[in-house]
Amino acid sequence: MADVHADTDRQEGDGAVKVLIESVLRLNPRSLLSNPVMAIVEMSFILVLLMAIYPQGFLPVANPGERGFYALVAFILLLTVWFSTLSDSIAERQARNTANSLRKLEEEVPCKKVVREGWESRTVQTSSSQLKAGDIILLEKGDIVPIDSEVLEGIAMVDESLLTGESTPIRKAPSDQLIGGSKITSDRLIAKVTTNPESTYINQMIRLVESSKRPRTPNEQAITVVLLGLTAIFSIVIISLLGLSLVLGLGVDLSVLLALYVCLLPTTIGALLPAIGLSGMTRLHEKKVIAKSGRAIETAGDTDTILLDKTGTITVGSREATEFIPLNGYTERDVGEAAFLASWYDDTPEGRSIIRLASDKGYIPRDLNALALAEVYEFSASTRISGVKLYIGGSLTLSKGAREIGQRLRFRKKFAESVDQPRYMAQEEEIIKGAPDVMKSRCTDIPPEYDGLVESISSSGDTAMTISREGRILGLIRLRDMLKPGIREKIQSLKMMGIRPLMITGDQPLTAKSIASEVGIDSYVPQAKPEDKHRIVLEEQSQTRVVAMIGDGTNDAPALAAADVGLAMNSGTQAAKEAANMVDLESNPAKIIDVVLLGKQLLMTRGAVTAFSVANDVAKYFAIIPVMFVMIPQLRELDVLGLGLHTAVISALIFNAIIIPLLIPLAMRGVRFKPSDTMTIFMKNVLIYGVGGVLVPFIGIKLIDLLINLIGLGV
Amino acid sequence: MIDAGQIIAIISILATALILGRLLSPYLVRVFTSAPQRLDRLLNPVEGWIYRLGGIDPARRMGWREYFISAFSINIIQMAIAFLILLFQGVLPLNPQGFPGLRWDLALNTVVSFATNTNLQHYAGETTLSYFSQMTAIQFLQFTSAATGISVAVAMVRGFVSGRKDIGNFYVDFVRTITRVLIPLCFIASLILVAMGVPQTLDGYMTVKTVEGATRSILVGPVASLVSIMQIGTNGGGYYGANSAYPFQNPTPLSNIFELLLMMLIPTALIFVYGRLINDRKESRPILIGAYGIYALDIAIAFIPAVALSAGMETRIGGFFSTLWTVTTTAMTTGSVNSSLSSMNPLAILAGFVGMLVQASPGGDGVGLMYMLMYIIMTVFLVGLMSGRTPEYLGMKITGGDVKLVMAAFLVHPVIILVPTVLSYATGAATSVITSSGAIGFTQILYEFTSAAANNGSDFLGSLANTPFFNISTAVVMFVGRYAPMAILLALGGSMLSRRRTSETALKTSSVAFSTVLIASIMLLVVLTFFPVLALGPILSFLQGHTAAGVG
Repeated sequence: MADVHADTDRQEGDGAVKVLIESVLRLNPRSLLSNPVMAIVEMSFILVLLMAIYPQGFLPVANPGERGFYALVAFILLLTVWFSTLSDSIAERQARNTANSLRKLEEEVPCKKVVREGWESRTVQTSSSQLKAGDIILLEKGDIVPIDSEVLEGIAMVDESLLTGESTPIRKAPSDQLIGGSKITSDRLIAKVTTNPESTYINQMIRLVESSKRPRTPNEQAITVVLLGLTAIFSIVIISLLGLSLVLGLGVDLSVLLALYVCLLPTTIGALLPAIGLSGMTRLHEKKVIAKSGRAIETAGDTDTILLDKTGTITVGSREATEFIPLNGYTERDVGEAAFLASWYDDTPEGRSIIRLASDKGYIPRDLNALALAEVYEFSASTRISGVKLYIGGSLTLSKGAREIGQRLRFRKKFAESVDQPRYMAQEEEIIKGAPDVMKSRCTDIPPEYDGLVESISSSGDTAMTISREGRILGLIRLRDMLKPGIREKIQSLKMMGIRPLMITGDQPLTAKSIASEVGIDSYVPQAKPEDKHRIVLEEQSQTRVVAMIGDGTNDAPALAAADVGLAMNSGTQAAKEAANMVDLESNPAKIIDVVLLGKQLLMTRGAVTAFSVANDVAKYFAIIPVMFVMIPQLRELDVLGLGLHTAVISALIFNAIIIPLLIPLAMRGVRFKPSDTMTIFMKNVLIYGVGGVLVPFIGIKLIDLLINLIGLGV
Repeated sequence: MIDAGQIIAIISILATALILGRLLSPYLVRVFTSAPQRLDRLLNPVEGWIYRLGGIDPARRMGWREYFISAFSINIIQMAIAFLILLFQGVLPLNPQGFPGLRWDLALNTVVSFATNTNLQHYAGETTLSYFSQMTAIQFLQFTSAATGISVAVAMVRGFVSGRKDIGNFYVDFVRTITRVLIPLCFIASLILVAMGVPQTLDGYMTVKTVEGATRSILVGPVASLVSIMQIGTNGGGYYGANSAYPFQNPTPLSNIFELLLMMLIPTALIFVYGRLINDRKESRPILIGAYGIYALDIAIAFIPAVALSAGMETRIGGFFSTLWTVTTTAMTTGSVNSSLSSMNPLAILAGFVGMLVQASPGGDGVGLMYMLMYIIMTVFLVGLMSGRTPEYLGMKITGGDVKLVMAAFLVHPVIILVPTVLSYATGAATSVITSSGAIGFTQILYEFTSAAANNGSDFLGSLANTPFFNISTAVVMFVGRYAPMAILLALGGSMLSRRRTSETALKTSSVAFSTVLIASIMLLVVLTFFPVLALGPILSFLQGHTAAGVG
């Protein structure tokens, strides 16, 4: 344990040293050129340093008796620049670390590589990351294609449904392309790898965002313009003050003027701007999402409409039985027991939930033992029913389903006590469950309330399933879509921030409406096919809304490309990933909401630090202006903080420098905000960072002044 | 200090201005949208004749560049004509006093001053200009400069109108502003002024015998018409050197209030026009709150001191109205004065500085609105990010390009105020004209250039500044201070044309909350830029316990 601890310590230590070295190297004026504000601070440092070394050269704006003061000012100016480069280095180190951990996350798929040795060839177990283009791999039934490749030998059926949404397996013959991630459902293939793992899409994207020559986003560019504009204004102010002081003999010291200059420059935002953008990217990476550009994250913050696929985003994608509804005079127990029997061999989440509900209610069928000999009707898309045929007291024909009986024995034992003496009646009995419309055509005794009941179930957002025994309808099973935990709160926060969630679902209108209202969504598109998404995106955009969406299949690609923010699932197709501007490595569709919030947070952080930085200037004026004109003592009445000339300059400069590292954590983690309506968030931030930005430096500068006097720093 | 009655007086004047502006705005909207009007029968033929005479195609739609070049060249041509008139007024008609032509630098300063809506006067009108000069060069430019400002502002606003592809036609806006806005308004205002006792005559100065038997010359002339356009057009250049402190220009307290209202009329009305033109009336609210909020702030600053005026003040109108006038004339960047600035308390002068530096509270005819739109975009960008969205105004995203234009417009003031102030001291030109040294003298010089840059026109120096240095330097400052922001802000309006808009704007710019933030950021930006020099001028004067004239 102690060893492990020491090890991590050492690692962090190494990282920290590296960051320090890097930040010092960045003090090189040439590398500061991309940050004009800091370049000016460094130039001021050099000037004041020269004043400390040779004050006589700066007469009449320097005083040879003040060399110690000049040296101190120079030191703090250098510190200011260093804090700025330090924040860059810290942000970059964090970005590197997260990017590296993302690489490891890329799924390793085990695979069989074919190695030829002379005439012989054998297969070696390896994993997808070890493969390179040109390798030959063997794919057998059940295998996942590890990486994009091309078929050399054999014909097989391949299931690409995960990637394309096409559910029927596709026949692949030599020279056909295989997509990484698809599944072989029959036979075997020999294939040649066509891409290198390091040139996979994800890897390329990580490399793209990791590079330090990240282009500035439109927003960063605009802020940079403001910073340059403010710099120009303050340059004119300072130069004219210097001129006035010289002409009118106001006795202003050049070092004091330069200190005022640096204090007025937007150094805080100038220093932190690159770090804020980079850590926004890093926070996205921590969520296992890769964005192709910083611009994509910013756009996410502007989202007006967010397209949410019902399945996977709002619901977990499976249904749960919640009620047995008897019909035709049967009891709830009759329905429950029949449902139990019909679902015994149904391994889907729905089937399991029916067994769970039946056993919770104590509806354990008497003829449980008959299941051992039952014939199983598996669900198929053509019949849309499933169930069992029981041979009660009949011959022992071993049905297909009976092979799996061993797996069920434990469960059966659990309920064995409650089973009554079985009745041996030696008769066939068919217990079927299925969609209400299909069952209607299979059964004869349709009760008059049947349609109404089915309708009312689906209008409450649930799905009805009919259960029958020997062609007679026993009743209905109510199946409810299971909501994702916390989804209602997430939808609520989206709506509060003025983002319109739009639910897309293949469900019937009534079902869709009910689920939408259950989670608080006002707009939904029922009976939607994947192709409809593109049309919806364009429709929303034509109403000048910024649209965010998720997608995974190839038929999502046009919509992903058209959407302003497209988040593709990593499990999706290459086409989808390429069309999107972000990829979620964990393939969790609900993450789109987090991405939007993160975009907002990034914009907010930038705005907050900018406002804070500019608002800070008021206090710095009040600290320095009253004392800087040595020949005009009357102005000292404005010295509300009660500072002397030297302590005013030093305190303001120290505050100006120290605020940068103090705000690094804010830049890294972003402004915290509670989802609420935009104006509330806005006013809250204005109060904290705008009004706070005016007040905090008054307090900070005074505290530093008190501290200087306390330790008796002779300035 | 200020008493309750005076506060009520201020509130009722402001409220009246707001009501008048609101009442005038639908009429102005019809003028600028060329909607049918009752005056059409009378004015359409006149305007058609003007268009034909000038070879103007009124149906032509312009982009911002063409619009600006048209406005700029018309202004230059007018300046050239006025320059010649002033230079040669000695040989021109309507000169009963026989005044000679002006020196070239004074003529240059005067024409630039009037063409740029500044009306900085380095001369005393009654002893320098002939009736002809007053009526052609001066009064003509007062009409055209106001019309230029209003036209350009409306053109900029058209850029913000959803679905528009052009910003209009300068010549049409210009002509219609003169024929349908300025001439009718001035006609009505002149009649009222004459009723209040302001002279309007082309006879020579009257010589009368006073009660004591001495002979005095009564300086009359076409005063009422000039006063109405100088106030309505936020020009400020008076008939007399003493401007509205002279009894004939401003005879009674009632005329004083009436002239205050005239100044506020068009700047206020244009704020309402803005909301109507962009089809979103509630967007007038932040401009209204911003403009009148800062105006109220100025009044508050000006009335902090116990004594409004010091010894030697003009007692006819009184300290209260003098101070209110000074604040108003700077807030509207009119520049007319009804008392000598030298007798003002330094804080009233400080309030005047704020009004001129903001230039949008509500500012001069047209230009004030343009500046306020610039401040709104600046504020939306600076603080709007804190709402968690890319900043938007009227649903349009604020881009780096917009910010560039706004910063460029914002940079104009510091450059043309601070640089010439330093230069005037460095060359020694300042010390030869100021009436006092130290903070007071510095205030006078800073005020001169601030007034010139903001196209205000009020000043301390008056004919003292009739030196080649000040005539030329202030001419340059007035010129740049007028046309540079105009071009930049027109470009900003032009760049908004047919920009993609989102239907739902998260940052409610029409809210009171935003309006408050707007006032705060305008004040912050102005204070940050000019605090050091203001500290050396009026603030230092105040701390030293002086009035601006140096009388303690």
